[in-house]
Amino acid sequence: MGFFDETFDLMAPNDRRVEGVAKVTGAGKYAAEYKVDGLCHAVLVGSTIAAGTIKNINVDNAKQVSGILDIVTHLNKPLVPGLADEAKIKEARLGLAIFHTDKIFFKGQPIAMVIAETLEDATYAASLITAEYEKTDAHVDFDAALKKVPLTPAGKERGNIETLNKATQTVEAEYNIKAEVHNPMEMHATIAEWKADDKLKLFDKNQGVNSVQRTFAKLFNIPTDNIEVISEFVGGGFGSGLRVWPHALACIMAAKQVKRPVKLMLTRPQMFYSVGYRPAAWQKIKLGANSDGKFVGIHHQAKNGTSVYENFNEGITRVTRLIYHFDNLKTEAATVPLNLSTPTWMRGPGDCTGDFAIESAIDELSYKLNMDPVALRMKNLALDKHPDNGMPWSTNYINECIEKGAQMIGWKDRKPAHSQTIDGDWSIGYGMAVGAWNAGRGNASAGIQMQKDGAIIVQTAMTDIGTGTGVSMQNIAHEQTGISKSKINIELGNSNLPPAPSQGGSNGLSSIGGAVVAAVSALKLKLAGYAAGQNEAYQNAAPADILLSDSGISLKTPNEQFISYAALWEKNNLDVLEVEASSGPGAERQKYAFCSSAAHFCKLRVNRKTGKVKLERMVTVADGGKIISEKAAANQMSGAAVGGIGMALMEEQQTDERLGTLVGNDFAGYHFPVNSDAPIIEVAFVNKPDPNINPQGSKGLGEVGIIGTAAAIANAIYNATGKRLRDLPITPDKVLLG
Amino acid sequence: MKQEYNFSRRFFLKTSSALGALAFIPKGVKAFYEEVKNFIVPAKEQIPLKVSINKKSYAIKADTRTTLLDLLREDLNLTGAKKGCDHGQCGACTVHVDGQRVLSCLTLAATLPGKEVTTIEGLANGDQLHPMQEAFIACDGFQCGYCTPGQIMSAVACVKEGHTKSIAEIKEFMSGNLCRCGAYNGIVESIQKVAAQ
Ligand code: FES
Ligand code: FES
Repeated sequence: MGFFDETFDLMAPNDRRVEGVAKVTGAGKYAAEYKVDGLCHAVLVGSTIAAGTIKNINVDNAKQVSGILDIVTHLNKPLVPGLADEAKIKEARLGLAIFHTDKIFFKGQPIAMVIAETLEDATYAASLITAEYEKTDAHVDFDAALKKVPLTPAGKERGNIETLNKATQTVEAEYNIKAEVHNPMEMHATIAEWKADDKLKLFDKNQGVNSVQRTFAKLFNIPTDNIEVISEFVGGGFGSGLRVWPHALACIMAAKQVKRPVKLMLTRPQMFYSVGYRPAAWQKIKLGANSDGKFVGIHHQAKNGTSVYENFNEGITRVTRLIYHFDNLKTEAATVPLNLSTPTWMRGPGDCTGDFAIESAIDELSYKLNMDPVALRMKNLALDKHPDNGMPWSTNYINECIEKGAQMIGWKDRKPAHSQTIDGDWSIGYGMAVGAWNAGRGNASAGIQMQKDGAIIVQTAMTDIGTGTGVSMQNIAHEQTGISKSKINIELGNSNLPPAPSQGGSNGLSSIGGAVVAAVSALKLKLAGYAAGQNEAYQNAAPADILLSDSGISLKTPNEQFISYAALWEKNNLDVLEVEASSGPGAERQKYAFCSSAAHFCKLRVNRKTGKVKLERMVTVADGGKIISEKAAANQMSGAAVGGIGMALMEEQQTDERLGTLVGNDFAGYHFPVNSDAPIIEVAFVNKPDPNINPQGSKGLGEVGIIGTAAAIANAIYNATGKRLRDLPITPDKVLLG
Repeated sequence: MKQEYNFSRRFFLKTSSALGALAFIPKGVKAFYEEVKNFIVPAKEQIPLKVSINKKSYAIKADTRTTLLDLLREDLNLTGAKKGCDHGQCGACTVHVDGQRVLSCLTLAATLPGKEVTTIEGLANGDQLHPMQEAFIACDGFQCGYCTPGQIMSAVACVKEGHTKSIAEIKEFMSGNLCRCGAYNGIVESIQKVAAQ
């Protein structure tokens, strides 16, 4: 029983999420759930064609619906100063300048917005709006369109790629991945309220309140501080909340138009074309090795879909330059414009896609070389330095991830040849793969407020999209101050709090952790300053020598010089003590390279009659530096593995070229794993601090949990059946036909 | 024009979604639908309703189109039940009606009189959390928390229904509640914990 033993070991019993009670009682408020006086509702109407020009919009029927307040189209929109003319629209880089064009780029593109007293009124009226268009040719079939786009170099060529031809064994193959959609359970929503002509309050679903604030300050030409963005509870993101999307602007425009607060929540079908997705991808890999398993080189070509109005390059070949040493390497890429909305970063962006192809090819090569896939990887890992920029790793324990994972799954039980274990109609196999991610860190600020009783509130503008930012901040603050967790409250997700970067790219905790440490130091110094008035020993004391407890301050000296907070407060007539501090990356970034990594192992069975794939076990071991909250981190990893199962076996945004449309854009048509699609995910960590990345030594985990998962599953399917399946998702039909 | 009140609501709904497909319908049929559209009455019906939610009764006026989910979220400020799809596909809106788990997005408010609705807000006993709520916190059965009220309402019913004999059975009977964060480990563990009590 791996999971229960391993994970219970890790779990500190009092490691409860700070927002836990709010979440299990329904008290926590997500963007669309705030009670605002005079609130009305906006509903978007999408175009019914995929490309062309709007000739006429008929809103007459809709206007008769009772409760209608107004209908906004490109013809009567309120002024948005930042989109006042073509040049400004370009400069705003919003992607789709909603209601500022009569051109249609994709089906579903908003052409009108109904604002009404109730959601029912608005929804009904929206259904009555029709439009006439001048249609032009539209293309949504990535597989057909990709051939027309030539590849261009992506990054510098290493060595000489012709050397690959001299390799003892090579694998050359193409890989196709269908578009995937983030689909956080909370649909994107905004409540916009103009408090004054130049003062805006937003309740909004996003992954970075400061970026939302900046974007709209610019668009409406008002001071940043005049916009308050509240995103205290965010119902998942996975990247969909990293950009500011057109619907949020539409909601603000609606509030301007009717001079009332307006709520706009996207519908689930709209979620598929309004807030990005992981684009479809084509890849070709040529990989070669000598007979001893040493890689000779890799040639990696990749194309991903984008929209016709914006170029989005996913960076698929970045991971090619991260995990292994390839003396000879060539990477090429291209983007393929389609009449679809613009894709965006989705969990493990680029790397997830590229890693699937690379890790599948390596597995294939291992069979050709008659070598264990674990051994083949171990031989070629770039453990000494970043293989692309040559800087030494600060820490990189990907080898330990592999070793531990192999041991947990019982890799020695795997049969080296495929199709060796049969159980009735089922074939059983093992597979593994690894993934890595360049570990980042941004500038972030945190504040602390302290009360007379020693209770503190630690604050940041950063959101917690479910990753456990709050509980991790509490853990760091507890470790740094010594104050009990029950006396440490966390406030986040509000632009009035100390600024922080968006929560994405596995940078969240890596960035905010340092800020919390800095804020604690500032608090200690401030308290010591007051204490010095009572006791000279505190003069010039360094933060490391100052100790805090639930009741007071003391020094790390034999005779502690304890002073109670109560006495300090009394003496100095204090009310609430406030500090704020910032922290960010520095010179260490010139000395070291940083990465998080993970190894994924699975055991699965494939039904030879139905093509069904059933995961029996899934093991994920990660190097995320020091683990701050073990429960939240394990949850991240297991959740990411579930996402990887979706990518491998079921997630697929289908399109219809003839109609220029998405097909199945709801949860009946688009499947991601339900509870029974996933086994209990077994998670473990290397848990060794990275001494250079940030004060707490933790590296982000959000991406590495998913990156290698799909390849591990595809590789296990090969081990079970001898079918090398290179197109995701691996649905039963592909298994049967493979 | 007398006929207009003969069109049922179901017919309206069908008609409006069929309108979207007009482009592919032959001319004669198209003309027919254009005509039908004019019969649609853009007026709403409001009806007085007496509903009992979390043992508290409410006398309200509700739009006949209002779902229980929208009634809770938009009219009564009981936002614990979540909207994840509005189409019966995700389970985020799960509440109990007369002790059974139901999808509130597929339940019209007008069907509620005489029934007892329990939402996540009514599960705890004052400050004392329901054991399932406690278990979800202890086992970290969530990440973003958006599916959580629905998961907990389903989990309580799952235990009551006795579908907790194995991990596989729990997983099967909790598969109507999607969790995009993939917090399924903790959800299963929470249910095992409560079932064992
Ligand atoms: S909101 Fe009711 S099932 Fe999704
Ligand atoms: S906890 Fe985020 S969807 Fe379940």
